[in-house]
Amino acid sequence: MSGTFAGAKPSDARDLRDALRGCAAGDRASLRLIYDLESPAMIGVAMRILRRRDLAEEAVHDTFMRVWQKAASFDPARGEARSWLYAVLRHRALNILRGEKRTDQVEDFDTLGLESEDESPEACVARLSDEKALKRCLEQLEPARRNAIVLAYVQGLTHGELAGRLGLPLGTVKSWIRRSLVTLKECMA
Amino acid sequence: MRGEDLDRLAAEHVLGLLEGEEAALAERLVDEDEAFAAQVDGWRARFAELDQTARPEQPSAGLWDRIADTLSEAPPTPARPRAAPARDNWVSRLWGDLGFWRATGLAGAAAALLLAVGLGLALQAAARKPVLIAVLMTDANEPAGVVNVLADGRAELRPLRSLDVPAGRVLEIWTLWDRARGPVSLGTLDAARTVPLRLDNLPRTIPNQLFEITLEPAGGSTTGRPTGPILMKGTTSAAL
Repeated sequence: MSGTFAGAKPSDARDLRDALRGCAAGDRASLRLIYDLESPAMIGVAMRILRRRDLAEEAVHDTFMRVWQKAASFDPARGEARSWLYAVLRHRALNILRGEKRTDQVEDFDTLGLESEDESPEACVARLSDEKALKRCLEQLEPARRNAIVLAYVQGLTHGELAGRLGLPLGTVKSWIRRSLVTLKECMA
Repeated sequence: MRGEDLDRLAAEHVLGLLEGEEAALAERLVDEDEAFAAQVDGWRARFAELDQTARPEQPSAGLWDRIADTLSEAPPTPARPRAAPARDNWVSRLWGDLGFWRATGLAGAAAALLLAVGLGLALQAAARKPVLIAVLMTDANEPAGVVNVLADGRAELRPLRSLDVPAGRVLEIWTLWDRARGPVSLGTLDAARTVPLRLDNLPRTIPNQLFEITLEPAGGSTTGRPTGPILMKGTTSAAL
């Protein structure tokens, strides 16, 4: 499968920025517009991290609260509206993930190993745009190291969890990540 | 920590890899270190496209209604002019949290507290009037303490709840008004109680100045900077 799922049209980026401005001014229709544009993709992002529908919806709910309260602090000079929105979502989802300790989900990780092929790191990379640097630069990494970076990001794994998942010593995983980050940064500069 | 280590920390923070002390350090640096916050923004931008590779799922039918219900309980915080550039840091997060908090059921109690403080002091000399108030919030967005800065420059901390202080640890009070200088310790406490704060040797307290309480080893942080978890924090606003 190729092509991103979420709408990435330039018009959406402008709509999002305008909608954030609307939220900052207290316009609830603007928040609803963001919900209509982004909530399915937001649920998808939160599901990859939290793996439970109720928790994913909680993360999205809390994100909209934060967006409503914090829209005034969004500064277009510092980044895209979409990056900002998903940074808020990821931060909330990771906090839920770390906070809940998820005893029930630890088992999931063992039995899951195995998320559907659709969710594999390879599938994620395949969905990235051929025109953008991220895909090209990730593809310069050795496959196992590339997968480690992508898994960490999309599933919110810690160094320790990643080592467990990959069956590698913690030190190895940390040094893989560090070297890969240096390579990525140089490549994307 | 060297520059390249900080950049690595920023990247691993964005990836979500950090835990324990490194995670706490990154959270703190995002708040307090402009350069680190910019590195985090850079890594977010590099990885952002990965968010678009998630398979979208329709939210359940009631999700928007739940959001709308919560919103009705929590009106938006009005945008306010800021001297400093708007930043997605904890200062703005906290501002948002205050808006949320004002609208929750705690607002009544908190407003009563502020009113009582205000009324009580109004009856005294003008010098006793609080000119700046900081409500310190916990991680869970609950008000946990108030810092009152009086017109004559004196200040006091009034906790709103007790805090668990493990043996061998103390509460340390910090203030930050200048990122370049970093947080400055105002002293340590063995338990949450009302205390005067010694601000005499510091520049005059200003709006948006941070106060926070961290858990530190007995005797206080040995590095001169907060090292333990933040138990509560808040910034000053001008009192009417």
